[in-house]
Amino acid sequence: MMTTRKTKKVCAGVGRTVLLTLFLVTAILPLYWIFVTSLKNPKELYTFPLHYLPRHPTLAGYKSLFSFSNFGVYFKNSLLVSLGASFGAMVLSVLSGFALSRLKAKKGKRVLELILYFSQTIPTFIIMVPLFTIFQKLGLFDKLWALSLVYIATVVAFSTIMSRSFFDKVPVSLEEAAMIDGCTTVQSLRHVILPITLPGMAAIFCFAFINIWNELFLAVMLLMSPDKMTVPVALNSFISKAGISWDTMSAGIIIALLPTMIVFGIGQKYIVAGLTEGSVKE
Amino acid sequence: MGVHMKTALKSLSVLFLLVAFAMMPLYSQGSKETVAPKGEEKVTLTFVEVLTSPSRTKQLQDIIADYEKLHPNITINLISPPYEQADNKLTMMLNSNQELDIVEVRDHTIKQFVNNKKIIDLTPYLEKWDEYKDLLPLTVEAAKTVDNTPYLLPQFFYIKGLFVRTDVLAKYGITEMPKTLDEMYADAKNITGKVAGQYGYGFRGKGSPFKISDLLILANVPNISKDNIYRTDDGEFSFNTPEAKKSLTAYKDLFEKAAPSDSVNWGFNEQVNGFISGTTPFLVQDPDTVSMIGASLDASQYTVIPMPVGKSGKAYLDYGFAGLGIPTSSKHPDEAWDFISYVVSAGVNAKFCKEYGPLPVHASTYQTDPFFSSGVYKAWETEMSQPDTYVFVKYPLESAKYPAWAQTEEPSMQAFVLGQTQVDDLVGQWETYWK
Amino acid sequence: MFVPTFVFLATFIYYPLCKGVVVAFQNYNMFDLTNVHFIGFKNFADVISDKNTSFWKVFLNTIEWTFFSLLLQFLLGFVLALTLRKPFRGRGIYTGLVFYTWALSGFAIGLIWSWLFNGQAGLVNDLLIRFHVIEKPIGFLSDPRYAMMSVIATNVWYGVPFFGIMLLAALQSVPNDLYEAAIIDGAGAARRLFSVTIPYIKPTIVSTLLLRTMWIVNFPDIIYAMTNGGPVNRTNILSTLMINKVFRQYDYGQGAAIGVIIMTLLGVYSVIYLQVAAKKDGT
Repeated sequence: MMTTRKTKKVCAGVGRTVLLTLFLVTAILPLYWIFVTSLKNPKELYTFPLHYLPRHPTLAGYKSLFSFSNFGVYFKNSLLVSLGASFGAMVLSVLSGFALSRLKAKKGKRVLELILYFSQTIPTFIIMVPLFTIFQKLGLFDKLWALSLVYIATVVAFSTIMSRSFFDKVPVSLEEAAMIDGCTTVQSLRHVILPITLPGMAAIFCFAFINIWNELFLAVMLLMSPDKMTVPVALNSFISKAGISWDTMSAGIIIALLPTMIVFGIGQKYIVAGLTEGSVKE
Repeated sequence: MGVHMKTALKSLSVLFLLVAFAMMPLYSQGSKETVAPKGEEKVTLTFVEVLTSPSRTKQLQDIIADYEKLHPNITINLISPPYEQADNKLTMMLNSNQELDIVEVRDHTIKQFVNNKKIIDLTPYLEKWDEYKDLLPLTVEAAKTVDNTPYLLPQFFYIKGLFVRTDVLAKYGITEMPKTLDEMYADAKNITGKVAGQYGYGFRGKGSPFKISDLLILANVPNISKDNIYRTDDGEFSFNTPEAKKSLTAYKDLFEKAAPSDSVNWGFNEQVNGFISGTTPFLVQDPDTVSMIGASLDASQYTVIPMPVGKSGKAYLDYGFAGLGIPTSSKHPDEAWDFISYVVSAGVNAKFCKEYGPLPVHASTYQTDPFFSSGVYKAWETEMSQPDTYVFVKYPLESAKYPAWAQTEEPSMQAFVLGQTQVDDLVGQWETYWK
Repeated sequence: MFVPTFVFLATFIYYPLCKGVVVAFQNYNMFDLTNVHFIGFKNFADVISDKNTSFWKVFLNTIEWTFFSLLLQFLLGFVLALTLRKPFRGRGIYTGLVFYTWALSGFAIGLIWSWLFNGQAGLVNDLLIRFHVIEKPIGFLSDPRYAMMSVIATNVWYGVPFFGIMLLAALQSVPNDLYEAAIIDGAGAARRLFSVTIPYIKPTIVSTLLLRTMWIVNFPDIIYAMTNGGPVNRTNILSTLMINKVFRQYDYGQGAAIGVIIMTLLGVYSVIYLQVAAKKDGT
C-alpha cells in the first residue's frame, strides 16, 4: 500500500535525522566545552554550577600560549616533522605496498605480511630505552630529521598494509591496457595511474600525519632543547608539580587540534574513495 | 610489472629525495651554537631541571641570564623536559653517560643516582663554601640523605601545611582554626552536607597519596622514629600499633563523612580544584601550591595553618626536597659548582623561592626576610621553629622497596576506604611489604 | 621496492625490539644498575605472582577493555556509516565535524574527559541531573562500578570515526546490481543488510578488526590520563601496568616482561583469529 511505504520512508528519514543529530552532539559537546574553557578567566574555571558560556570571555589563554610559551616555534617544529615523516611514509609504503601486492611468491608474501602485522603488536615502551641509546651513540638527539625518521618507521608498517590493499584493487591489466592504448609514460601516469593511486596515497598521508602529529613519548625522550619541542611535548609541559595551567592548556589543545582536523577533514573524502572497492571502472 | 608503473614509482622516489633535500635546511634552523671555539676558554654547561613548570623555567632562565652576565665565558644550556616524564628522562640521560654538568635531584631520585654512581660527592666543594654554615640543619641533613654524604645541595623544601578556606568556614560559623587533628576532623564533618555539594576535606586518592595520609594517620602514634616514618622507636611497624589502627579507621571515617566519594580517585588537580571551588575547604599541601591558589583566590578568602597535631601531641612532617647535583660525566665540575653555589646562595635562593613558592634553605633568609615569616608562610615558619611539636621524619628513601611503594599503597588504601578491606588485613599487607 | 621499508623497520623497530626483549630477562631496575645480569624468567614470574597487583585481574580488565571498546566502536561506527550512506546536503561538513575525534591526541582526550566525568562539577553529571536522569552526581572515575565503563565510553567516543570511515567506504563499494537482485528476490532492508552487505564487506571487516584490537590493547593513553589504572586497579590493563612499572617503579626488566607478554598474547590471538576467519570463508 502506498501510505505504508511512505510512512516507512518518513519514519526512516526521521530516524536518520535523530541519529545524525545525536552523533553530532556527542562528538561536538566536549570540543565545545574545551573551547569555552579556553576563553574563560582562571577564576571562572572551577565554578559550580557550571558556566556553559563564559561570563567574562578573554583571549588571555591564547596570548599566554603564543608569547609566554612560545607556541609558534613548537607548532612549526611539529609541522616540519609531521609533514616530512608522513610524506616519507607515504612514498615508502606506496613502493612496498605495490611490491607486496604484486608479489607472486606465496611464502615470501606470508613472511612479509607477518613482519608487517607483527610490528603492530609491539608496545612503544619496550623500544623506548634502546632507541634512546641508539640516538645517544649516534649523536642524534635534538635532530628533528632523526625524529622524523623514527616516526616514518613507526607508521610505515600500517601504511604499507593500507597501500597494499589499495593496489590489490587495481587490476594489473589496467597498467598494460594503458600501454596498449598507445599512451606515453607521462600520459598514462597522469590519466590512469595517478588518479587511481592518489586517493590511497592521500589516505595514507592523513593517517600517518594524525598519528605522528599527536605522538608524545618518543618526542619527549629524543628531543632536548626547548626550541626543538613539538606540540604534544609543549602541551604536556603545561602540567607541573603544582598543577595544570588550564587557560594555556585548553587554548593549546584547540590550536593543536586545528592541523589534524583540517588534514583529516580534507582527507576523509580521499580515504573513503581510496578504500571503496570497485571504484575502478574499466 | 608494467613499464609505466615502474617509471611512475621511480619518479616518485626521485621526487621524494629532492623534496627531502630541499627540506633539510628547514630542519636545522635554530640550533644553538654549543661548540665553544678553542682558545677562548669558553665553557658550556648543560643543566637539566626536572620540576619543570612554565613559570619556574622562566625564572630559571632569568637566573641563568644574570649568572652569564657575571661570567661572560660561561654559557648554560637549560634542558626542561615536561614534569611528568622528567625524572625518567634524566635517569635515562644519566645512565647513558650523556655529558651533563648540573642536574636537579629530588628526594626520591638521589638514592638511585648514587647507586648507579652517576653523581659526585660534593663534600670538597661544600667545605670551602662560605655560605655552608648558613644552611639550615635540615638542609644539611637532607643533603646527606644517602650514606651520610652530601651528594646534592638542596634548594627547596616541600613541607605540608594545612590550607583553609576561611570564608567558607566562616559561612558555617567556624572562626577558630583547628589545632588538633580531632578538631579538624570534627570541623570537616560538621560542615559536610549543610548545603548540597558542601564537603569538608580534600581527600587525596591517587598519585602518591601516602605522602598526605601517613601524616594524618601516624600523628596519633607517640613514638615514630625520626629515621624512618614506618618504624616506631621500638622497631615496630608504625601502622601495627593500636593507635595507628584506630587512626586508620578514623581516616576512613573522614573519607566517608567529610569527603566527596569521587575523591578516592582525586589527584593533585582535583584536590586543588576542590579547594578553589570551596567544595573542600581543608587542603593539605606543599608551599608551591600557594602561587597557584593565589591566582584564583583573594588573600582574604584563605589562609594556611600549621599541620594540626595528633593525639601524640605532635605532628610528624616529611621534608620533601629538591636540589642540584653534579653528574660524574661532567667535564667541568668546578664551573658547575660555581653556578650551583650561585643559584643556591642565600640571596638568589630567597628570590627564587618567593616567586616559585617552596621554602628556602638558608637560616639567614628566615631571620632577615619577613616574607617567609608572615602571611601564609607564617604557618611553615612555625612548623620549622618548634621541633618538639613539629617533628621532621624521614621516609625510607634508601630502601629498594621505596620506588614501588606508591603503586602498592594506592590501590590498597583505596580498597580500605571503600570498605573492601579490613584494618588488620591492610596493616598486614603493608607490613609484609616492608619486611 | 620493499627494501627501504624493511630498512626502516629493521633499524628503528626490530633492532631496538631485540634489545628491549633482552631486558625482560634481566634484573634491569634503574634503582640499581650495578649488577645487571640474566635472570631467566624471574621478571615474568614476579609480575604474574605479584600479591599486591593481581595479574589475573589486570588480564581480565584488558580483555574487558578491548572487547567492549571494539564492539561498541564497531557497532556505532556501522550505524553511523549506514546513516551516512545516502548523500545529503552538507554531508561533507557533517562528516568533518563528527569524525574529528580521531584527530585528537590520547593525552588531550584523557584530560578533557576526566573533566567531563568529574564527580562533582563534571559536564556529564550536570547534564544527567538537569535532565532528571539521576539525582545525585555519580563518581564516574572514582566508583569502581563505573570507572571501567567511563574509560571505555571515552575510548569509544574516540574510535568510532575509524570504523565509521572504513565501513562507509566498504558500504559504498557494494555493487548496486547485487542489491537489485536481492530486491527482485523480495528481500527487505534488514535481509539485504545481512545477506548482501555484510558478507560482501566481510574481508575488510576481518582485517580491520584485528588491527584495531592490537591498537586498543596497546593504547593506554586514555586510561593513564583519566584514572591511572584505579580505583583499586579496576581500570588497570596490561599496558598501563607496563607504563607504571617503567615510569613509576623504574623496573624496566618487569616492564619489558609485560611488553613481551602483551606481544605474545596478541600474536597468539592473531594466529587463532586468522585461522578461524579463514575457516569460515571456506578456504
